[in-house]
Amino acid sequence: MPSPALGNQPPEEAHVGRRSTELSMLLFVFGLVAFAFANVAFSLKGQRPSTIFEYMVVFIAIIMCAHLALRRWAPYADPLLLPLGALLNGLGIVMIYRLHEVGRNGNPGPVNDSGVTIPILTLSSSAVILQIVYTVIGIGCFVAFLVFIKEPRILQRYTYILGLIGVFLIALPAFLPTSISGVAGTGAKIQIALPGLGSIQPEEFAKLALAASFAGYLVAKRDVLSLAGRRVLGVDLPRGRDMGPIAVVWLVALLLLVSESDIGTSAVFMGLFVAMIYIATSRTSWLLIGFAAFVAGAFITAELFSHVGQRFSVWLHPFSATNLPLNPPPGTPQPAYQTVQGLYGMANGGLLGRGLGNGQPWWTPLVQSDFIFTAFGEELGLAGAMALLLIYGLIVQRGLRTAMMIKDPYSKLLAGGLSFMLALQVFVIVGGVTRLIPLTGITTPFLSQGGSSLVASWILIAVLARLSDTARRPPPRPIQEEGLTQVVSVK
Amino acid sequence: MNRALKRISIAVLVMFLLLLINVNYLQGFETSSLSTRPFNSRALYEANQYQRGNIETADGMVIASTTPTNDLYKYQRTYTDGPVYAPVTGYDTIYSTTGVEHAEDALLSGNGSQLAFRNFIDMITNKPQKGATVQLTINSKAQQAAYQGLENILKGTNRVGGVVALNPTTGAILAMASYPSYDPNLLATHDGTALNKNDEALLQESPSPLINNATQTTLPPGSTFKIVTSSAFFAANATNNPSTQVYSPQVLTLPQTTNQLHNDNGEVCGSAGANGKTTLLWAFSQSCDTTFGNIGMDLGGGALNHMADAYGMNTNLNIPGVTTSPSQYDLPPSLPTTAYSAIGQFSDTVTPLQEAMFAAAIANNGTLMKPYLIQQVTASDLAVVSSTTPSVLSQPVSPTIAGNVKTMMEAVTQQPQGTAFAFNAANENGLVIAGKTGTAQNQLNGVSPNPDAVFTAFAPAVNPKIAVGVIVQGGGYGAAAAAPIAVSVINAYLATLGIR
Repeated sequence: MPSPALGNQPPEEAHVGRRSTELSMLLFVFGLVAFAFANVAFSLKGQRPSTIFEYMVVFIAIIMCAHLALRRWAPYADPLLLPLGALLNGLGIVMIYRLHEVGRNGNPGPVNDSGVTIPILTLSSSAVILQIVYTVIGIGCFVAFLVFIKEPRILQRYTYILGLIGVFLIALPAFLPTSISGVAGTGAKIQIALPGLGSIQPEEFAKLALAASFAGYLVAKRDVLSLAGRRVLGVDLPRGRDMGPIAVVWLVALLLLVSESDIGTSAVFMGLFVAMIYIATSRTSWLLIGFAAFVAGAFITAELFSHVGQRFSVWLHPFSATNLPLNPPPGTPQPAYQTVQGLYGMANGGLLGRGLGNGQPWWTPLVQSDFIFTAFGEELGLAGAMALLLIYGLIVQRGLRTAMMIKDPYSKLLAGGLSFMLALQVFVIVGGVTRLIPLTGITTPFLSQGGSSLVASWILIAVLARLSDTARRPPPRPIQEEGLTQVVSVK
Repeated sequence: MNRALKRISIAVLVMFLLLLINVNYLQGFETSSLSTRPFNSRALYEANQYQRGNIETADGMVIASTTPTNDLYKYQRTYTDGPVYAPVTGYDTIYSTTGVEHAEDALLSGNGSQLAFRNFIDMITNKPQKGATVQLTINSKAQQAAYQGLENILKGTNRVGGVVALNPTTGAILAMASYPSYDPNLLATHDGTALNKNDEALLQESPSPLINNATQTTLPPGSTFKIVTSSAFFAANATNNPSTQVYSPQVLTLPQTTNQLHNDNGEVCGSAGANGKTTLLWAFSQSCDTTFGNIGMDLGGGALNHMADAYGMNTNLNIPGVTTSPSQYDLPPSLPTTAYSAIGQFSDTVTPLQEAMFAAAIANNGTLMKPYLIQQVTASDLAVVSSTTPSVLSQPVSPTIAGNVKTMMEAVTQQPQGTAFAFNAANENGLVIAGKTGTAQNQLNGVSPNPDAVFTAFAPAVNPKIAVGVIVQGGGYGAAAAAPIAVSVINAYLATLGIR
């Protein structure tokens, strides 16, 4: 994935816009998504191709808006970012449509006590429409970012404000009553429920704000952070006054997340922080400290919060009698039920999958959000699951490549940090549902049902697009032949 | 900063590689172990989307079928005459299978590799997948008679019993009944809570109805073991025959011990008097324990053990669809125990299946055919997917010896001194049944004050069609409790052949 030896010198081809490449890629994406939609429609009993047609038209229109915005405001942006994001977003809508159809219109689904097939109870009847609306909002934010933020370094001015906004967004649900901020069925308090519109998860945006804030702070202080300080046990520690502000912000955010029982996001957040300090200072000791702190934190939270300890137990022994009692009386807790159903789903998919619309994803609780990857694994098989992972990998690779190419340290740090955060988020949730690591519920970027995650993902793509546009833009040409002061066009 | 970025890129690469390896492991290597886990709702759902194949008897009676339902699983398994056929069919619950349901699960469910091509054709022609039909060797009349016989005598007791009938020339199991039994319909319910409750109730019952007493419960063979002792006697010396005079005292004093071996009621054996000899035929038909105790000591435990093995004892039979326990003949450690083992006591134990195999081997001129239950499996398009060809299990005795034993077994029912003569004279109606009774002292088990009743027989004596083994725990005399069941099974089966 990392491009070898790119160095600071971008290759010649980097100065070409590549918007036509992007367009042809997008046509491919539209074809793929339309095919997936048709596939679902033909597999299910209750075919509704007319609605699918409308969904497709809106989807194509909105993505084309993003494409045109890139042509106008970021012509040198990386040509893969938008198509890859659009593909994931489109497939996510297809899967939510598929899950929405479960138990409706004569399609197979779970059965209630009276023997009647029912839809997935946690998936509202307007889920598909809402997901498309969120896509529109997401692309709207994407375009707005490109229009208003012409130069990424502008963000550096708002380092402290962004930090405050980030902490405020994270803190908000913790101070709201559980009736508004609690997620049903879990101990987490991470959302703001808006009656009729679903809910907002402020932390999704807080992650972006804090990443930008960290980047600004670390760039300003990177020299003192890496040079001044004391050496303790062979590890260089920075001075308190340099490290203080960011450590406070970080600790406050982390504690708030833990108090909101949002372990997954705190893990991503922790990783983001460590990676950014490492990129800024190039000191390996930070990785060691970060890793040690992470392991210690994991153990402490596992001891402090029973539900975190239970996650570890489920991870290690999903089929044990306490985690998955066999045929228990109704009401018995089955902590491993969701994880195991996800695994069964993946196994049911096998190499090539059951085909879209032919699996039984409804067995897995919350399959439309945290466990949507297992639904893809079941219906598209190992081939589809690997393809999705590679798409994520490609987005991350484009982001890291941008970070390598760009000269400005702030932009470099921001691109590197955001790319790593996306990778980490995919690792935490996909690794969690496939039992590579203990499960912590966070959203699957672009795929999961829910607006905040989708909109935040599109903003992330917008930032990367803006950064890559800056990185690949040709250097300003001199407009006079000679002279002491060169006058250049900055467009 | 680029150096750090490159390292971060490598970390990202490792993370994605781990994810890729993990999904490969899950979906490439773990699929079968995950989908066969109990309570995998997806696999259960899948299995019940298709119509499971029927199980039929040899005479075409459907004993396990499916009916469409409206719940999550589209088909409900239904068993006809559940308790009668439970040891044969086993059960198919939403979680597990036993018996034939287990042995032929792949074909019954329609997922077997032999059906893959047909399923593919069905998929193309848009026909629903359907399981294959399993046809058993069971004869419904014989099975019904066997179960009825056991129920009449054992109902309301805490004793067990089992009946097995074999076709001596092929080894096909014609009847396999066990008492007490259970209704597999109770376990076929799709309601997990009800299933749990019913299962729990069956597990609480004693004696357990879930054990197939026809093939899993071993009890002492008693005097029926004299078939084995006689076989060994004939095999030891070619001049030995049923007319050979054998030492038959009224009381056999055993060496190395103060124990004495008596005949059943301490009577003398035929014309032998207190300390004389009589013919082997007489001793066999009157079932003189002293004669065979003495013969056993002469032959030695090794010869008896060898012959018992040849009759299929001490062997795991591995019959598809049938759970069996091996019948046992332990090498006796001393002369007195050898004498006891020769008359089916000491530690000898057999299943009703083994009893039927004794008679079947003699009926088939000394060749013992391997018992089998599953005749053939036919796909939904009626093509035969698999069928069982009869095979030889062993040749315990030569045809000559088999003829000798047959002569003696006929005497048991046909001559006045025969232990089953009185009973047979009342039921004969012109049919000659060759048999051997057993009345096994087994009171120490505390189940019943009476001995276990054992009977092994084949009929007709000329050109035999059926061999039956019956054991009724605590039934008393073999001729009184076990023989009537055997005769009713024989009559029921021969009637279907048009012989009676």
